Amino acid sequence: MDDTEKLLDVRGLKVYFPIEKGIVFKRRVGWIRAVDGVDFSMTKGEALGLVGESGCGKSTTAMAVAQLQRKTAGQVLFEGRDLDKMTPEELRRERMNFQIVFQDPYSSLNPRMQAGDLIAEPLRIYVRRGILTMSEEEMKKKTLSLMDRCGLSSSFYNRYPHEFSGGQRQRIGIARALALGPKLVIADEPVSALDVSIQSQILNLLKDLQDEFDLTFLFIAHDLAVIEYFCTRIAVMYLGHIVESTDSKNLYRNPLHPYTRALLSAVPLPDPRKERSRKRILLKGDVPSPAVERPGCPFVDRCPEAMRRCGEEKPALRDYGDDHQVACFLYEGDQK
Amino acid sequence: MKDELILRVQGLLTEFYTERGTVKAVHDVSFDLHRGERLGIVGESGSGKSVTNLSVLKLIQYPTGRIKAGKVLFKGEDLLGQSEESVRKVRGKHISMIFQDPLTSLNPVIKVGKQITEALRLHHKMGKKEAQAKAIELLKLIGIPDAENRVEDYPHQFSGGMRQRVMIAIALSSDPEILIADEPTTALDVTIQAQILELINSLSDDKGVATIMITHDLGVVAGMCDSVCVMYAGRIVERAPIDDLFYDPKHPYTEGLLNSIPRVDRDQNQRLHSISGAPPNLINLPPGCSFMPRCGYAMDICGKKTPPEIFLEGETKRTVSCWLHVKEDKHG
Repeated sequence: MDDTEKLLDVRGLKVYFPIEKGIVFKRRVGWIRAVDGVDFSMTKGEALGLVGESGCGKSTTAMAVAQLQRKTAGQVLFEGRDLDKMTPEELRRERMNFQIVFQDPYSSLNPRMQAGDLIAEPLRIYVRRGILTMSEEEMKKKTLSLMDRCGLSSSFYNRYPHEFSGGQRQRIGIARALALGPKLVIADEPVSALDVSIQSQILNLLKDLQDEFDLTFLFIAHDLAVIEYFCTRIAVMYLGHIVESTDSKNLYRNPLHPYTRALLSAVPLPDPRKERSRKRILLKGDVPSPAVERPGCPFVDRCPEAMRRCGEEKPALRDYGDDHQVACFLYEGDQK
Repeated sequence: MKDELILRVQGLLTEFYTERGTVKAVHDVSFDLHRGERLGIVGESGSGKSVTNLSVLKLIQYPTGRIKAGKVLFKGEDLLGQSEESVRKVRGKHISMIFQDPLTSLNPVIKVGKQITEALRLHHKMGKKEAQAKAIELLKLIGIPDAENRVEDYPHQFSGGMRQRVMIAIALSSDPEILIADEPTTALDVTIQAQILELINSLSDDKGVATIMITHDLGVVAGMCDSVCVMYAGRIVERAPIDDLFYDPKHPYTEGLLNSIPRVDRDQNQRLHSISGAPPNLINLPPGCSFMPRCGYAMDICGKKTPPEIFLEGETKRTVSCWLHVKEDKHG
């Protein structure tokens, strides 16, 4: 397979959660449409950021890609192979190629395991299953080299998670995700639980690892500045839909979707002069409930530019040149 | 009007007692707040920014913790020396507070309207009907639609942003002179954060309320404050008017912090600066400057003696706690 081909291809992804009523006789009374028709693809070596506010479906999308969340509809193709059509055994083998770094380094590490064992655990499981062959010694050597690469001193090998700071725990989480040599790393809010001074250390570490191991990143975050720094391409999500997707520099220079514009203008800048001269686009109200089915654009209730058509018809994600896709009727005429 | 001193905190020292030892959460903190001023207190988790403000309101509970020393002068009178009863008359009336998490700071089994009227009836001795009418008026003021009916709702029926609006309504219901906002938007999404900050800004402008904004987000401070205190490991390392701090930081920590924030308004092709290491454990702090192990400019003296908080030459509003800026003998 050639390098420029798609590593990951997600088509028509939908994840609905049932709303149930009753205790003994449970019945479904509706659906939470967490992800409602998401398409994207990733080429090797890129870092795609999924950004959006809480409840927009970014984490659910990531978990569905990782096969940790049952899909309602849609396909996930990894290097052209459909992950849904695999047997559990095949999927287990494939999983070596896509690993996850979780958000909260405090709850994602087993408090009773030592750092070294936590990092070696994926290796141990694959050895036990007979997928990998490695001696104890080789495993330890590999673990130590991962620790070194992730900025953890080898003297930490026998320490427990509570002895580490948040940043160090996240380093353990990263080393663990890299143990099996994945091609794709799904990072779900990897720095949002960390303080600013630690956040930049972890972001730099991830960048170095990306170069060194030739990794592809699916990066989930709510912080636009973090996403811009880390990602080459960004997809903005709102209420289960991708509303805009483009190259990261382009998104900040030329945001098209009214939601992206509002989102960007809401990000506080650490620059008092700029802040004083800035004009904010303040959105009305809150994100509506994903339980209500709406025929039109998901953003219509809060959109400052809403037209009559927006409430009736759903705009599709269309390409407007320069690898810039937007789902908005405002740009319909400019389509390429 | 802006020069009238309304709150002066002097040499505040607050400790907590844990099984593993004494945590010096706030160490020798001093700052001034003038009428109508917006002061930001920034720092990372554990830097003591919240404890400072809990101490200002005398909300530290013994035997878990204790305010060991210092003065909190509200219009010249020391709150820390007063009885609980007289402090209670100031708290919530003259000095109000908004907390980070609006869900846990509202009582889930009491209607929103009643929670607003509670403060009004207590501090302003209003009757039931009068207070109810005022509560509706306040809800309208903070932009909650259908206020007449929403007063009958419970907190869980409100969204996160609306709950925070309710907290603001409660805090401002008694026309306070000082509003302390402790990470008021940290639990909220950016578009909702923008709405809430706008609301706090416009209300405090209208009423001339002095605001203390506690946050870890330098962007929030840049957008709304007049001056800033930067805290690290329980101490204020730098105090400055807003522009001076952002465009001419004096303390190495402030400088490092500003450089390590990724920004949307810049094309960032170069690597992000990062401060190595992690903040120290506040139990058994080593002598000297707490930032020394992470500081790129560390000198001999930094590990021996804690730098004093000094005013920069020719300045009345800028202080810094760093040996780099101490002119005299650095070896004594």
